[in-house]
Amino acid sequence: MSCTSNSVFRVSSNPSINLKPSISIETKFNPFHQLPYSSKPTSRFQIKCTIRKIRERLSTVKNTQKIAEAMKLVSAAKVRRAQEAVINGRPFSEALARMLYHINESVQLEDVDVPLASVRTVRKVALVVITGERGLCGGFNNAVIRKAESRIQELQKLGLDCTIISVGKKGNAYFSRRMPSLFVDRFVEGEGFPTVKEAQTIADDVFSLFVSEQVDKVEMLYTKFVSLISSDPVIQTLLPISPKGKVVDAYGNSVDALEDEFFRLTTKEGKLAVERLKVGKRSELELHPLLEFEQDPVQIIDAMMPLYLNSQILRALQESLASEVAARMNAMNNATENAVELNTALTMVYNRKRQSKITEELLEIVAGAEALRPLD
Amino acid sequence: MTLNLCVLTPNRSVWNSEVNGIILPTNNGQIGVLPNHAPTATAVDIGILRIRLNDQWLTMALMGGFARIGNNAITILVNEAERGSDIDPQEAQKPLEIAEANLRKA
Repeated sequence: MSCTSNSVFRVSSNPSINLKPSISIETKFNPFHQLPYSSKPTSRFQIKCTIRKIRERLSTVKNTQKIAEAMKLVSAAKVRRAQEAVINGRPFSEALARMLYHINESVQLEDVDVPLASVRTVRKVALVVITGERGLCGGFNNAVIRKAESRIQELQKLGLDCTIISVGKKGNAYFSRRMPSLFVDRFVEGEGFPTVKEAQTIADDVFSLFVSEQVDKVEMLYTKFVSLISSDPVIQTLLPISPKGKVVDAYGNSVDALEDEFFRLTTKEGKLAVERLKVGKRSELELHPLLEFEQDPVQIIDAMMPLYLNSQILRALQESLASEVAARMNAMNNATENAVELNTALTMVYNRKRQSKITEELLEIVAGAEALRPLD
Repeated sequence: MTLNLCVLTPNRSVWNSEVNGIILPTNNGQIGVLPNHAPTATAVDIGILRIRLNDQWLTMALMGGFARIGNNAITILVNEAERGSDIDPQEAQKPLEIAEANLRKA
């Protein structure tokens, strides 16, 4: 809708039309053959609407910008907390991994049957898919779901049956739509920060499925926190547990926690920066040759396995949360920048329209006055 | 000779300092651990851990796990641990009644 006025002298906002005003005007004022329109710097299409509409749009964009910026700051704070949660959980998983290894070594000598490490021929696979709770996080949830789909296709091509345990509202919504063709065992919804209790429910579910031989292998799909800008959905084999306590992913590559680098969100010179810390390989504590087992080694391993499962799942939940929040921070950052750009473009157009309107009115007035002046 | 006690849960470290002795609830009953205890590995049952510190006994509730007693260093790995001083008896009363009711129904 182009700007038009009711007066005889039409002012069009289309810059390509050369205006030929009447002679009386030309003598008095600068001819406006071409409205001083430079091509708009960033917008790809012309903004054509009335001044009032532009004003409304401007206020909407300003509001959106404020909201996006607030969300970005909140997410930045959350990333820090999520990273700290991951760091706080490290001593536990490290100590557990080490002890598991040692105890397994000493137990190798006997013929011990550990239910959670039993390797069976795989016919059915359970896949725990960890997605986010809310949206506005860029491509985060989509990446996870796409990876899940591709893994399901792979497994089906190998002729293996697949069960899904979906964690997170976004994944739940997706998989519930896929229900008839895909068997979903359970939907889990988290609230806020992942707690041990949540990890426990998932662990119990997985445990019962595996031990009752309903599934022969359990894999977990979560997003690994690689850096503030990038995150990576990875698939990790939860069960059967490899006797060394080492963690492998679906393709047999080691994704051991002990070999991890992890990132810390800090501030450097007032700007957000990311620090990389390599997990120091602690010196392997020698297993005391006289280590007594208070109970049967089998009982002890039985007690350790649920702990191990729990800590693995909790760590995956925490990393997924950290990636989701980092993705949201990036998305909101981009949104803020876009809003600023849009703001500038709109303000430019608004001012031009406003000025041309003023010029119009001035011309009308002067033309009127001129017309009324008696010809000399 | 003091004993270094470390109680770890999956999301935080509950205790990491020196103590004089502890009483640990295991699957086979309660065991007391004093400095220079023989190295032992044991499963921990759901129960109360008593910590002796400067002639005072402190309590901590443990939700089951695993403990390793090394060379004057005890590492306890549990699913959840709560210090006695952090537990509010009023708040805990209601879940207790609910749990007892459930137990009677079962």
